[in-house]
Amino acid sequence: MDEDVLTTLKILIIGESGVGKSSLLLRFTDDTFDPELAATIGVDFKVKTIAVDGNKAKLAIWDTAGQERFRTLTPSYYRGAQGVILVYDVTRRDTFVRLDNWLNELETYCTRNDIVKMLVGNKIDKENREVDRNEGLKFARKHSMLFIESSAKTRDGVQCAFEELVEKIIQTPGLWESESQNSKLRLSDSPDARGGGSCGGYCSML
Amino acid sequence: MAADSDPESEVFEITDFTTASEWERFVSKVEEVLNDWKLIGNTASRALEKGELTTGIWEEKSDEISFADYKFSITHHYLKRGPLTDKEAKEGSEEDALPEAMQDLLCVDNDFPPRAHCLVRWYSLREFVIIAPGANSDAVISESKCNILLSSISIALGNTGCQVPLFVQIQQKARRMYVGVCEGPGVRTDFEMVHLRKVPNQYNHLSGLLDIFKSKIGCPLMPLPPVNVAIRFTYVLQDWQQYSWPQQPPDIDALVGGEVGGLEFGKLPFGACEDPISELHLATTWPYLAEGIVVDNDVYSDLDPLQAPHWSVRVRKADNPQCLLGDFLTEFLKICRRKESTDELLGKSAFEEDGKENTDITHALQKLTDPGTVHIPRLSTMSNIVHSARKRMHRNRRVEESPINNEVLNSILLFLFPDAAEKAGEASDVTPSTSCGVGMAATDEDYNLYSQFKSAPSNSLTYKLALCLCMINFYHGGMRGVAHLWQEFVLEMRYRWENNYLIPGLANGAPDLKCCLLHQKLQMLNCCIERKKARDDGRKQLSSENASSSSIERKLSNNSSDKEKKEKGDPSQQKSWDSWSDSEEEFFECISDTEELQESDKKEGAAKGERKVEEGKKETQRWKPEGRLHQYGNMTLLRMGELLYIPVTQEPAPMTEDLLEEQSEVLAKLGTSAEGAHLRARMQSACLLSDMESFKAANPGCCLEDFVRWYSPRDYIEEEVNDKIGNIVLKGELSARMKIPGNMWVEAWESAKPIPARRQRRLFDDTREAEKVLHYLVGLKPADLARHLLPCIMHAALLKVKEEESIEDIPCVRKIIQQIVTHVSKLLRYSNPDLKKLEDIINQIIASEAIIARSRSLQAKFGINKCEKEDEREELERFVSCLLEQPEVPATGAGRGHIGTIIYKLFVNAQRAATLTPIDDEPRKPSSERRPSSGAVPEFPPPTGREIILRTTVPRPAPYSKSLPQRMYCVLLKDDFRLAGAFSSDTSFF
Repeated sequence: MDEDVLTTLKILIIGESGVGKSSLLLRFTDDTFDPELAATIGVDFKVKTIAVDGNKAKLAIWDTAGQERFRTLTPSYYRGAQGVILVYDVTRRDTFVRLDNWLNELETYCTRNDIVKMLVGNKIDKENREVDRNEGLKFARKHSMLFIESSAKTRDGVQCAFEELVEKIIQTPGLWESESQNSKLRLSDSPDARGGGSCGGYCSML
Repeated sequence: MAADSDPESEVFEITDFTTASEWERFVSKVEEVLNDWKLIGNTASRALEKGELTTGIWEEKSDEISFADYKFSITHHYLKRGPLTDKEAKEGSEEDALPEAMQDLLCVDNDFPPRAHCLVRWYSLREFVIIAPGANSDAVISESKCNILLSSISIALGNTGCQVPLFVQIQQKARRMYVGVCEGPGVRTDFEMVHLRKVPNQYNHLSGLLDIFKSKIGCPLMPLPPVNVAIRFTYVLQDWQQYSWPQQPPDIDALVGGEVGGLEFGKLPFGACEDPISELHLATTWPYLAEGIVVDNDVYSDLDPLQAPHWSVRVRKADNPQCLLGDFLTEFLKICRRKESTDELLGKSAFEEDGKENTDITHALQKLTDPGTVHIPRLSTMSNIVHSARKRMHRNRRVEESPINNEVLNSILLFLFPDAAEKAGEASDVTPSTSCGVGMAATDEDYNLYSQFKSAPSNSLTYKLALCLCMINFYHGGMRGVAHLWQEFVLEMRYRWENNYLIPGLANGAPDLKCCLLHQKLQMLNCCIERKKARDDGRKQLSSENASSSSIERKLSNNSSDKEKKEKGDPSQQKSWDSWSDSEEEFFECISDTEELQESDKKEGAAKGERKVEEGKKETQRWKPEGRLHQYGNMTLLRMGELLYIPVTQEPAPMTEDLLEEQSEVLAKLGTSAEGAHLRARMQSACLLSDMESFKAANPGCCLEDFVRWYSPRDYIEEEVNDKIGNIVLKGELSARMKIPGNMWVEAWESAKPIPARRQRRLFDDTREAEKVLHYLVGLKPADLARHLLPCIMHAALLKVKEEESIEDIPCVRKIIQQIVTHVSKLLRYSNPDLKKLEDIINQIIASEAIIARSRSLQAKFGINKCEKEDEREELERFVSCLLEQPEVPATGAGRGHIGTIIYKLFVNAQRAATLTPIDDEPRKPSSERRPSSGAVPEFPPPTGREIILRTTVPRPAPYSKSLPQRMYCVLLKDDFRLAGAFSSDTSFF
């Protein structure tokens, strides 16, 4: 099965503690929901292979702890990620307000600037919503991210979020290709390549 | 044969191709190619715009055909043009319009194209096909062969109706002899050529050439329609006289002599060592002359270049001028391909004599197992230590053996480690934050560049090291020099580690993953030194205090004041760090820090008990709080009602990217199973556990809820509940996930003992990590080192080119820089960049270096700096920048313009020098007085080349034939004479 895998992608899940990062991941990888999922310590890791546009991509998904204290530890794992899922809890405004901090963190620790970012508003199954869908949309637009609302409990939007993200990564040139597929250098369009010492047909004269 | 297989069909005629000759096959092959390329019929198209033959994009298609076993290549050259608009298509669709090529023969807008295929230059064609002998075939020399070829193409054109001119190349390739044909409806143009070594005397002027042209046309009409003449004379200037190349190559001898200031090491050289402009060509053009207006014959000529209405200039660039920056880079890149290790380069003795190096490596293991080794630094001044370090470094190497002499080496080391020169008192205060101030001040753009390239901030130690190695490699002993400097560098690193001197020129804090690995490693080493220093300083203070006073009471009072200080609370990082190290003294009596760690959990409690006895507090929960950082708001402990304190915690372990890679690999390898996840969490819980222990120590009597309220506030849920009496009270509890029995948080909490951070086992073993880094550095071969530093070098080189470009302001260089930045950042993203591609990039850098050097050369030659009038200066600047980018630049005002005057002087001076006329006595003449014959010495040299185009439209061959375009192009050089004629004739009425 590994042979027809187009590429391996590193995906991060970040966001405040308790917004349902691990639950989203569990829903995506195992299609289950566990209301009593222990708080993540440090980082966790899961793998899943999915097919997007007929291309198989192996996803190595790193789930991170949201607690402030762990933030000194987890950004080390941002290195080399091609995609990031930034999660907030639609029933807790404070988790939405803190998104800016997370983006800063990404900015600081990400090793590449073309990383694909997706904003996910989780827990839409709950009734006491505090963050409107439009606010999420607005935030995502402002920071050029993908946006979706989801519920890990009812599986709404979960599969879709991951698929969209992967599709976007695959569409971004230079983001996922491995070293060997490194784009070819074109240097010929420089002005000097034309002239050099000789001057084309003119030298018939001199 | 076909008839046999189908007996019923009646066959009237059999076309037999079995006996077709080679010649017939050749012709049909040509036809086939013409058909394939869709060159059949009249291809209507727009008239050419002025200069379009030069500015447009030319393309070509090629195929191979053969005549018997003789290979030819057939090539279609054409100017790429946009599709026709409807209106244009309508206009162009006249039935018997002349073929394009014939119309273009008379076009005067594209005379003397500065850059074009020779056929374009001669005949002003926009499209043509050439049949030339294949690469390995002999030239077509014999006349009969030439004729066969010419006949073949005539037949092919006739058969296909192709209107594109078709040429065959005859004679030796270098002679560029072509004959060709173009066929249209009822018309035909023959392209013929004369090529001689010497210009025959009778044709060495316009009137002689006109004679040939007229007799060739053989026009029966009298009087002949006037012949249109275009003339261009080209003058070549090679001797620039006093405008010698402005850039002096750096004085290499001086550098070798060791007289190198620190400044030079931080800079890359730049510029060309030789004049990158070798010749100036001045073309004086008379674009439209009617026959009879000018006289040019063997005794007299009207053609004075100063009077020519049009002047244009081109410069000939030196082929691959030697460029300093380019040489530096190329040589540096070469190191990357070498295989030798430092040992091999410096001889085994290098390391053996430096016995210290070896013993330290063997000690490394010992140190791993013994992290608590107490270092008691000698109490000596910095300058002392630096001095002895230098002595130690040089002691063991015999002078004649070292590739870099001592003076150079010392100045390099001083450049890299400027803190060593500072006075003892100041030097000991050097902190990384001050020493990297320069790096921090770098511009945003620079910041981007280093993160894009994954190099290091400019002015950082890594960056400077790269520059030094580059210079050493070039001037001081090549590879061996590099190995030598590296060895010294590593020694210095070890020295600093052992003596607690921070490494200068590195940003504070954990390794910056945006930088190259080597930079990260050095930052890591600095982190280790910083921690070790803090620890040792604490101990030193402690021991000195111990010596001065033995009274416990005094220390206790110290404690309380210390505590007060801390309780005021200062959240800043630096402060917390200080207080941590300060607080070492507080627990001096627990000398057995390590013992405590070694002993089992049970004994821990006992040790605590002892302390409690000392302080006379027997309540189990009420032990004395330790390691408080500051209050956490006004929050109080749930059970005790006392203030909740944030504890001093251990800093997380800094990581370099390779360690990180290793660790994430380990974590990933645990797999995705529940057990794997559990194990993973457990492996990472050390930090959590440490924080819990610190918390417990700072908050005696606290519970998990208290901890969670600080650590993960969202997991403590508060609700308003009505109590029995009906009052609303706030009731809080842990979140569901924290209440899961046996979850890791609970588990960790239960096993956590109240131990302040400073007495915990170190999460980050600086001794071990430092040894690992040093071991890594020692193991680097010069090639590895060069690869590590490549990004820094590329970064520095680009900054240099940018800097130089900003002085000159050359748009095309800016464009190249942009391209290079994009390519390099793509290339260097991977740990092992393709050296071949880097070489291409270095060539690009050389190209931009050469362009800048050319610009400078031209500016000096045209005396831009001497120019005082603002508008003239601007005009000159524009002119010079055009010269760099365009093949040929018109000089406004021709001979009378400002630029014309300067060029004129250049020629005059050269001419005088050539004839040994002293320049001094030359009074500058006003331009109006200039006449070619005014002095004894001709002011202008004779033209190096003369080009003349003759054009007319006459009926040919008979007076009643159609009037058709005729053209002859003539080039007269010193030993090359060429006439390229295109003579059209009517094939219907003759």
